Amino acid sequence: MLEQELKNIWKNSSKAAQINIETDRLTQDFDTKMTAIQKNIRKRDVREISASVFGILIFSFFAYEIPFPITKFSCFLSVLWFVYVIYRFRKSNQQNTSEKLSASLTKQLAHKKQLLQQQVKLLDSAAYWYAAPSFITNFIFIIGLGNPEDYNWKNLLTENLLPLTITAKIGVLIGLAFFYLFGVWINKRAAKKDVQPILKNIEDIQQQLNKPN
Amino acid sequence: MDNLPTIFDELLKENKHKIYRICRIYAATPIEPQDLFQEVIFQIWKSLPNFKGNSSVDTWVYRIALNVCLRSKMNLDKSNQKTTRLDAIYFTPVAETADVFEEEKFRYLKECIATLNESDTSIIVLYLDELSYKEIAEITGLSENNIAVKMKRIRNKLFECITPKIN
Repeated sequence: MLEQELKNIWKNSSKAAQINIETDRLTQDFDTKMTAIQKNIRKRDVREISASVFGILIFSFFAYEIPFPITKFSCFLSVLWFVYVIYRFRKSNQQNTSEKLSASLTKQLAHKKQLLQQQVKLLDSAAYWYAAPSFITNFIFIIGLGNPEDYNWKNLLTENLLPLTITAKIGVLIGLAFFYLFGVWINKRAAKKDVQPILKNIEDIQQQLNKPN
Repeated sequence: MDNLPTIFDELLKENKHKIYRICRIYAATPIEPQDLFQEVIFQIWKSLPNFKGNSSVDTWVYRIALNVCLRSKMNLDKSNQKTTRLDAIYFTPVAETADVFEEEKFRYLKECIATLNESDTSIIVLYLDELSYKEIAEITGLSENNIAVKMKRIRNKLFECITPKIN
């Protein structure tokens, strides 16, 4: 008796309000919403990629302009690294936008868990794929800077930008080390504060579902 | 599919009440059931061209509704927090048939469902919608046996909670 009563209460719960849907208008609104979402995704992609493209242009210019061989070599490495960063971002974004909402609850949770684990891995390993390679290439770049007069090189703009003295080199390297350490800390913090709690939540639900009773 | 708008229209007519019932259970401040309902409908509209017919339409709709609601509850969907309500969906209170006692009973039911964990909540909302164990198993991805065992425990817990309130 109680069971049927509960089912009736449940079924009647949606009758408290009349749900009106103007389908034609709704599909138009959804079309607009979809366009806005796609536009935002494109904007985000451009924002993320433009920093790397800027890096590629700058270091290509340095590789062309600066005469010191070791610094030239580091510029090529930097360009390669920026290309890798673009690839990494694009791959991560593609994975994050794939949703399986029409899959069963268990499959959807497993899928979401996998995506979040990848995200945690990406954020936690920022020291290896982001900070270390860029610091090493920057280090080689700075160490490779020699005396412009030895190469008969004159470019006031570039010369003024580059740390050519020992003191300037050490100062820049220390500054860069702190900058990358901060970057690593920010990424690790995002993994711990933003992603791990959701991951834990998913694992809890998976455990509840997998319990035999 | 050329007749997609017609299918979508039919699908909404058939399923809007069951979707709304689920949304009423999962909506948590600051997200209102209407916001969640709109998001479920949006996801159905987005997924409809990819519907392959491997499962029944009912199962497919329930899966999307549950997944979207759970995603919202776990705060996975950051975009949902700034949802703009569309004018094409509107709710009008049914004054003449609205039963105050019925609403109160629903409030009790909602309170008791809130004491269950996420897994049990997803099973009970499907059970209250009079779905068979087989259908619930298809939607959740669990086995029919597992659902049967779980339902025995969930039912007891729910009855224990709601009986004193209703009486």
